[in-house]
Amino acid sequence: MRRVSKTSPRSSIYNANVYGLDTKDIWTCLTCGLCPIGCPQQVDFLSFIREERAGKEPLEVAHLGVFTEFAELSSKLDGVKPEKSDSKYGYFPGCVDQLGLFLHDVKTDFGEITTSSLKLLDKLGIKPQIMNMKCCGHDVLWQGKKDVFDRLKKLNLKYIKESGIDTLITSCAECYRTFSKDYDMGIKVVHTSELLDKLGLKINADVTYHDSCRLGRHMGLYDAPRKALTANGVTVKEMEHSKENALCCGVSNFMNCNEQTKALRIARMNEAEATGAKTLITTCSKCLAHFNCLKNEKDAVKKYDMDVVDLTVYLARKLDENVKKEGPALDSSKMENI
Amino acid sequence: MSEAPAVTTTKEECWVPNILAFACNWCSYAGADLAGVSRLQYPPTVKILRVMCSSRVEPSFILKALKDGADGVLIAGCHIGDCHYIDGNKNAEIRINNTKKALEKLGLDKRLRLEWISASEGLRFSEVIKEFTDEIKKLGQNPVKEVKVNE
Repeated sequence: MRRVSKTSPRSSIYNANVYGLDTKDIWTCLTCGLCPIGCPQQVDFLSFIREERAGKEPLEVAHLGVFTEFAELSSKLDGVKPEKSDSKYGYFPGCVDQLGLFLHDVKTDFGEITTSSLKLLDKLGIKPQIMNMKCCGHDVLWQGKKDVFDRLKKLNLKYIKESGIDTLITSCAECYRTFSKDYDMGIKVVHTSELLDKLGLKINADVTYHDSCRLGRHMGLYDAPRKALTANGVTVKEMEHSKENALCCGVSNFMNCNEQTKALRIARMNEAEATGAKTLITTCSKCLAHFNCLKNEKDAVKKYDMDVVDLTVYLARKLDENVKKEGPALDSSKMENI
Repeated sequence: MSEAPAVTTTKEECWVPNILAFACNWCSYAGADLAGVSRLQYPPTVKILRVMCSSRVEPSFILKALKDGADGVLIAGCHIGDCHYIDGNKNAEIRINNTKKALEKLGLDKRLRLEWISASEGLRFSEVIKEFTDEIKKLGQNPVKEVKVNE
């Protein structure tokens, strides 16, 4: 095993399965899903990592595990009853509120994702009921806390059953992955980006799009967010690595925050900068948090002149601008006629 | 050997709140000390933990305490402007208020309290503890459920 590097997936499988060692490698993995893409034998490395982690203590959890503690605390409390509503659509905001409260120094309005999504859904004629559920349990599941995940899942499934919805809409890539793959609910789960191509906006701008690992490689949703942008007139400039080869933002499920992950973030931001676009669009609230954290660092190595925004926030802002511009827009059309 | 007669009280009656207090080394801990030296009475419901500054208290500490069954969490620091580390308590205020907002969603926000107690306010310390204990008594036990370890 000398020929493989320290972070090789092969060495972690070998050490754990053959030697029965409790390796560090299973905790340093970002679970971004890039190894299975390159694997000629199609080894399901992600499932291996998840099974191997179950029941063990993580080496390191970023932010002193505040999100894990919050999820554990809420898993021990009774859930609320859903409000009476006839809507067959349910919108789950995810943990954007907690992200905004506990990561207040990132200086990003995470709550805007929820308001923007609802505004855009309203424009599309969808009036969902707000799902006041617990955390979807994505982070605790990938941190090896299967028992906490099971408790959250039980409470959430009860809530969903009582609410009587048949489509669950979420704007978070991680929630989308967890509800689709780990819940077996029997109802449709939709990511907001799948609905936004019918908005009919006319935006004239260049952006670049970052594929989040949960939406891209885990769920195979590459074209929907791009279509949501191009159908509204936006030009998407692709980065050097995109779609299934997209680089990771560096920190998934709040496990690692160190020099290596920072290097990954810088690499990705550099790629985004090289496209020449001034806006970086993401579909995952965590990618958003991490890129903005790098951008707003106090003693930054490099200043990035780039907006990092969520897809829904970007489109909702443009929608607002369009509404404001409606007057002048009419005038210009008159000018053309003359 | 005569054993004391078994008192038949319900669980609710004999329950006393279990409050965790984080006290800053420079003001509140000294204030608690003064309350002790001055023989001021306050209920034995509080467990004081000394920290160097109120801003040392991370939101995850509070969440962990509540998760593990504490009925209330009190954070006590120096008055604004008196912080030994210049603006530690200002940071603590932002942090604790944010944590409070997050706890609102779970209905536990009243179990968290931030107080400014200086080293000379021994009386105030005992009063804060009395007041907080009464409030927690009204709220009742922490609603978190016991979870079996080998679940």
